[in-house]
Amino acid sequence: MDPLLMIGAVTVAGVLIGGGVHFLPVGGAPAAIATATGVGTGTAMLAAGSAMTGLITAAAMTGEPLWLILAGGAVGSMLMIGITMMVGNWVYVWGVGTVPASAKVETDPITKYNQEKYVSPGTEGHGIPTVCFVSGIIGGLLGGIGGGLAYWAMYQSLIGIASYATPLKYAGVELVPAAMVAGIFALGLFFVNAVIASYNIGGTIEGFHDPKFKRIPKGALACLIASLVTGLIGVLLIQGGAF
Amino acid sequence: MSVAAGGGGESGVDPKMTAGIGIIGGLIGVYLTPYHPVLGPLLASLGAVCAIIWGADAIARVASYGLGTGVPSIGYMSVAVGAIGVLAGLAGGVMLGNALFGPIMGVILSAILGGVIAIVGKKVIGMKIPVLVTGTMELTAASAISVLGFSAAIAGGIGMEAIATSVVTTGFIGLLFIMNTMAIQHPFNACLGPQENRVRTLKLAASTGFISMAVVGILGGLFTSKGAAITIIGAIAWFIAMRMFLKASKEEAASVAWSGMWPKEEEL
Repeated sequence: MDPLLMIGAVTVAGVLIGGGVHFLPVGGAPAAIATATGVGTGTAMLAAGSAMTGLITAAAMTGEPLWLILAGGAVGSMLMIGITMMVGNWVYVWGVGTVPASAKVETDPITKYNQEKYVSPGTEGHGIPTVCFVSGIIGGLLGGIGGGLAYWAMYQSLIGIASYATPLKYAGVELVPAAMVAGIFALGLFFVNAVIASYNIGGTIEGFHDPKFKRIPKGALACLIASLVTGLIGVLLIQGGAF
Repeated sequence: MSVAAGGGGESGVDPKMTAGIGIIGGLIGVYLTPYHPVLGPLLASLGAVCAIIWGADAIARVASYGLGTGVPSIGYMSVAVGAIGVLAGLAGGVMLGNALFGPIMGVILSAILGGVIAIVGKKVIGMKIPVLVTGTMELTAASAISVLGFSAAIAGGIGMEAIATSVVTTGFIGLLFIMNTMAIQHPFNACLGPQENRVRTLKLAASTGFISMAVVGILGGLFTSKGAAITIIGAIAWFIAMRMFLKASKEEAASVAWSGMWPKEEEL
């Protein structure tokens, strides 16, 4: 694959990942004690879970057409973030005993249910209401496509090099070095962009209905620059080869 | 979100000293790897522990200003940058025709990428942390050396071929990724607060570094002389470092004897 195309694909992937993070209901420490809406952990942890699942499902589609790899990554990430949000909601509803509600909006933009009445006084909401859940799934979709695209670009570049394409045998399993190198590259790119996006939103966000969501152009620009440089450094991997 | 916000407080440790330990100790350890089958990897893993201590100090200096995203996030980012930089640097060494250029190139590339991310964070996103650029560059360089050191210890060499076949293709790089992140970010994440004492934080950093080293020895083959040496020395050093940390924590902890334990509910 042409190195320029690889850099382009990695840059687009980075912007998709960074944009996707803006959709995730990242609640952070306040949500961990059910005083803010969202999943009670940081962006890096949500990204780690959904990125790794997305990469495994994308890598499972290795050798298939591009759209299938992207779809694989998207489905994996969406499933993982969906499961995280659903199980989180079980804990908030049946464990903590709160109603999923957001203080950022008066009515849920999707279900039109009133939110205000259900928000405990002194908190910014709790649990993951419908709008946050839908937003999180969109975030997983974008992030998964981005991760899959970065994996595909790097894999296609590396598989052309004989030393990366020759499978190695470990404990009876044949492993292709190109897939592993591309996987770790895509995972690294995912973390870098997830954290930059997380800096942009200042740690916590509820989803596309949150006022902080308007910062997305800045975040996308920052991710674009960082991913471009990551892509440039990635060219060395292709040009150098392994042996 | 971060409880540590405020930042820039006095530190009992000179940043130049930890940087020196990390860079010099780390790179010497990495570069000596190929010269002896047992001592080389042992020195490489000790070098990685030096880099982890440097990284833990750098993360404490940056994150004490309050990143808003929690301490682990910058740890994950820097090790991600370090892993990408190391792989690219090692491949670059192959491209230049001399494997000895690989490690140093990996560290420099990681620092450059870290610097770019920090500048983007400052200029585009508008983060207001004065030490963000230098701190992130130090942190990414330290992460790169720690990944390099442990990879060299597992592979027994510093060439791209050795590391690609025995660390990356086997998937150990994924484990190193998370383990080094934990070793670098955990000390400050656990010790942060108004009474944070950097010497105590770095004692914890030494213990997380050495326990990672013990795990790396297992990855390198527990029943080979190389792996056994790394595991045993790592485990003993972990025990000593953990003891030092526990002692320091007990000395600095407010005693519960002041007010006694909290009263039982029926006594209220």
